Amino acid sequence: MKIWIKLMVVLSMITGLAIFTGAGVESLAQGEGIKLLIAGRDGTYGKAMQLAVDAYLEENPRADIELLKLPYAGLSEKVVIDLKEATGAYDVMMMDDTWVAGFAAAGWIANLTEMYMERELSLDPDIVGAAVDCARYPYLRGIAPIYGLPHVGNVELFVYRKDLFDKYGLPSPPETWDEVLNAAKVIDENELDVHGVIFRGRKGNPINAGFLPIFWSFGAEVLDEEGNPTVNSPEAVAALKFFLDLAEYAPEGVEIYDASDVRDSLLSGSAAIATEVWPAWVPDLDNPEKSQVVGKIEVTVHPGQVTKSAPMIGIWHLAIPEASTRKDAAFDFLLFVTSERMQKRMALEVGLPPTRASLYVDPEVVAKYRWYPDQLKALRASKVRPRLPEWIEIDPKMGFYLNLALVGDRTPEEALNELNAEIADILGK
Amino acid sequence: MKRIVKYVLLAIVLCYTLLPIYWMAITSVKPPIEYITRTPALVPKRPTLSHYYKVIVEQHFTRYLINTVTIATGATVISLFVAFLASYALARFRFPHKFDGFFLVWVLLVKMVPPIALAIPLYVMLRSVGLISTRLGMIIVYQVYTLPYCIWMLLGFIRGIPMELEEAATIDGASPLRILRSIVLPLVGPGLVATAIFSIIMGWNEFIYALLFLRTPDAFTLPIHIANYITEYETLWGPLMSIGLMASFPVLILSGFLQKRLMRGFAMVLK
Amino acid sequence: MVIANRLSRLQDTLSQEKYFRFIFLAPALVIVVLLTIYPIISIVYTSLHQYHYIQGTKNYVGFKNFIRLVNDKFFLISIRNTFEFAVLSTFSELLAGLGLALLFKDRFFGRRYLLPIVIMPMLLSTMVVCATWRILYDYNYGLINYIIRTLGLGEVGWLINKSIVMESIVLIEIWQWAPLSFLILLAGLQSIPDELYEAARIDGAAGIRILWHITLPLLKSQVLLVVLLRSIDTFKLFDKVYALTGGGPGNATETISYYIYREGFTYFNLGRASAASVIMLLIVVAISAIYISFTLRGQTS
Repeated sequence: MKIWIKLMVVLSMITGLAIFTGAGVESLAQGEGIKLLIAGRDGTYGKAMQLAVDAYLEENPRADIELLKLPYAGLSEKVVIDLKEATGAYDVMMMDDTWVAGFAAAGWIANLTEMYMERELSLDPDIVGAAVDCARYPYLRGIAPIYGLPHVGNVELFVYRKDLFDKYGLPSPPETWDEVLNAAKVIDENELDVHGVIFRGRKGNPINAGFLPIFWSFGAEVLDEEGNPTVNSPEAVAALKFFLDLAEYAPEGVEIYDASDVRDSLLSGSAAIATEVWPAWVPDLDNPEKSQVVGKIEVTVHPGQVTKSAPMIGIWHLAIPEASTRKDAAFDFLLFVTSERMQKRMALEVGLPPTRASLYVDPEVVAKYRWYPDQLKALRASKVRPRLPEWIEIDPKMGFYLNLALVGDRTPEEALNELNAEIADILGK
Repeated sequence: MKRIVKYVLLAIVLCYTLLPIYWMAITSVKPPIEYITRTPALVPKRPTLSHYYKVIVEQHFTRYLINTVTIATGATVISLFVAFLASYALARFRFPHKFDGFFLVWVLLVKMVPPIALAIPLYVMLRSVGLISTRLGMIIVYQVYTLPYCIWMLLGFIRGIPMELEEAATIDGASPLRILRSIVLPLVGPGLVATAIFSIIMGWNEFIYALLFLRTPDAFTLPIHIANYITEYETLWGPLMSIGLMASFPVLILSGFLQKRLMRGFAMVLK
Repeated sequence: MVIANRLSRLQDTLSQEKYFRFIFLAPALVIVVLLTIYPIISIVYTSLHQYHYIQGTKNYVGFKNFIRLVNDKFFLISIRNTFEFAVLSTFSELLAGLGLALLFKDRFFGRRYLLPIVIMPMLLSTMVVCATWRILYDYNYGLINYIIRTLGLGEVGWLINKSIVMESIVLIEIWQWAPLSFLILLAGLQSIPDELYEAARIDGAAGIRILWHITLPLLKSQVLLVVLLRSIDTFKLFDKVYALTGGGPGNATETISYYIYREGFTYFNLGRASAASVIMLLIVVAISAIYISFTLRGQTS
């Protein structure tokens, strides 16, 4: 009897505590010194950002920086809602280059070109032009203002086991996707523990990013000149059918594979070809402590088929939400993270690909990542995904239907037809 | 013979219940080399407390714990208070035009509604009074869960109490509040406790509103923190399991402590 | 009749003012109405519009969202998944709980200590449960596949294979919630007087017959309670799907709640998400009507 009276008293006290403290967002705004809340990615990107944050804190001990490490879908969900509601919760955010059009058009992120001008600074020309361009809105190369600072020099690469290709006399590097399919078949059938091919099959952004290069190679486009969706064109269907043929030589469970699964497969030597690899995943290819395939992997650009296509660019930018109340501190942090010193450290210690051209030919960096000079060429010759404000809605839809085709719930024609209708709906056509 | 079968079955049940919990415990002290292997070890070879350190010191575990505790108990206390009054009224008073019937049906409906359906408008409501990412906001929103539950449970308990005592007290001239406090409350006591515990567990456990209405890390609750770990694409199982264990301790201890009253309260419901 | 008179006497003596009873009810009334009336009206309103969250445009489209939904294969699949999960889980939990309750009915050595252990899964946070089972179910490094592998059978893709992924989640649900049905049924079993069993045994009835003809009929109200509670909860399934499968593979585990979440928070198509919510509410109302008629009938019997 008495016990539970005491219990009720305790509980009431806790309630009082709950109500009269814990103001959430406000607690961050109080106090002096620099306070920043960063919405970032997880994995390698998270490690690199943590490195930058720790370095910044060493130089500014009174600063208070909190870093959120989120998966792709989680980041986009959090960020979109906060930007739309203009809560000002985040001061710095990582932004995929496909989000630039949508966010900038809605006025949700700060115009960095203006911020540069206000401080009488100019953008460092060392940063690769192609990377800077995909932060521009509207997409007028070299002219329009930028809304993000390029942070991760991601360009999509193609990776294969040169030793296995040589063993079976396969053309190396493969020039067309047909050669890739043949190579996958040969290796898969003859090598016991090696799968012919590996890619990200997880629905949403992962499978979509992996599929688009093949899609473009077959001559398909997402939109035509008038902006009508054409994802169910004959070329597109051919591309998807090819993709499914290729998937025959992928391991069990590929339909939920994400970046770490692809990376683990590559490093353990159980995959012969990885069709879509982003540099941030593969710093350890030649690291004997983590890799079973030191020196055996060749990093190159993906083959063409109908067209000699260009590698897909996918820069992660750093942006400042318009609603942030700490834009000055945020801008300062942005400059710090993209400085040559920090980018070099992030490249060497974590393997994050830089956005500065000078680092791609820096002897120390190239000694560790022998494919970097080629990677720079790929960056400069790259192709961007459609600059649509609605892309952030189209991307997960596309990834959804591709995954359905992959698991066999739809035929390629069905999946692409339905997808086309959905995209038309989103674009209001 | 029957006895042996019974004990064998009980042993199986014990294993089946405890295996996942045991696994959680030992994974939380295994270094990473040991948990990403094709042959999982039943006993860790080189146990380490580094995950616990990392989680508590580097990942602000106590902050999430405090958030979760205060929100869950806060919501429960308010619900119990409100529900107690309401259930008493529904059990003892007559209402015009079957109003009480309608109210109870509405309560049942609210209990059945999937929370996601109300999420968007509730978000808008919270935002308009500036309660996004606050504990008070969550306590208010959690009434959607806890209040119908408490009303329902307490109604059952109060109905199970014979009216003679209250009648006698009224004849003796006691005021309704006095009756509530001295007569009804003690009798419903165990039931209140049982309801309180399950209500706290509900609030502790709640995921979807916390996911959508808590936007900044300092406001997160434990389920959100844990979910961030599960969905991340690195296999950070060691820290994940240590958070899981620590997140479960308070509730397990609380209910172990009050187990007797819990069982008594349960028995009362089912009369 | 006697009860009614006593109730009104109590009522009259208790309440000096006519509105007294409403004061008691008022706080609950206010909270419940506030938290449900506005949201429901708002959802119905939004469901009749096409609302692009990012651009912030809103136009009235009448019932277009509803028509698209009813024709949307994914929405229908999510409804089917939801019912499949709810029925399967509830039924299994009922059986498991019954089995456990029968085991624990009579006193035995160690029962006092075993009981709290058996209840433990129910007290764990759902996310913790998900985390633990995610690791057990892992295709390459999970304990379950390891055991199966050493027994010589092939590995199972618990969360990967779309034919069994739903059942995998049901298994976790049973692990977590069978204790609840166990507790309720146990309390019911313990309220059955031993004399009934004695009488049946004297009459020569054996185990199963006793179970079927005596025990189960007397447990009817507890069984109904378990069915009611668990089917409500499993119908709302979201957490486990979010943490373990994201609705996949394909959309084998997509439930209505997850569908609404995806439409609203991944695609930001609020009009369609609201329409789906409205439909879900209508389904819920229909099911509640069935339950209410059951309980009312139960009360009169």
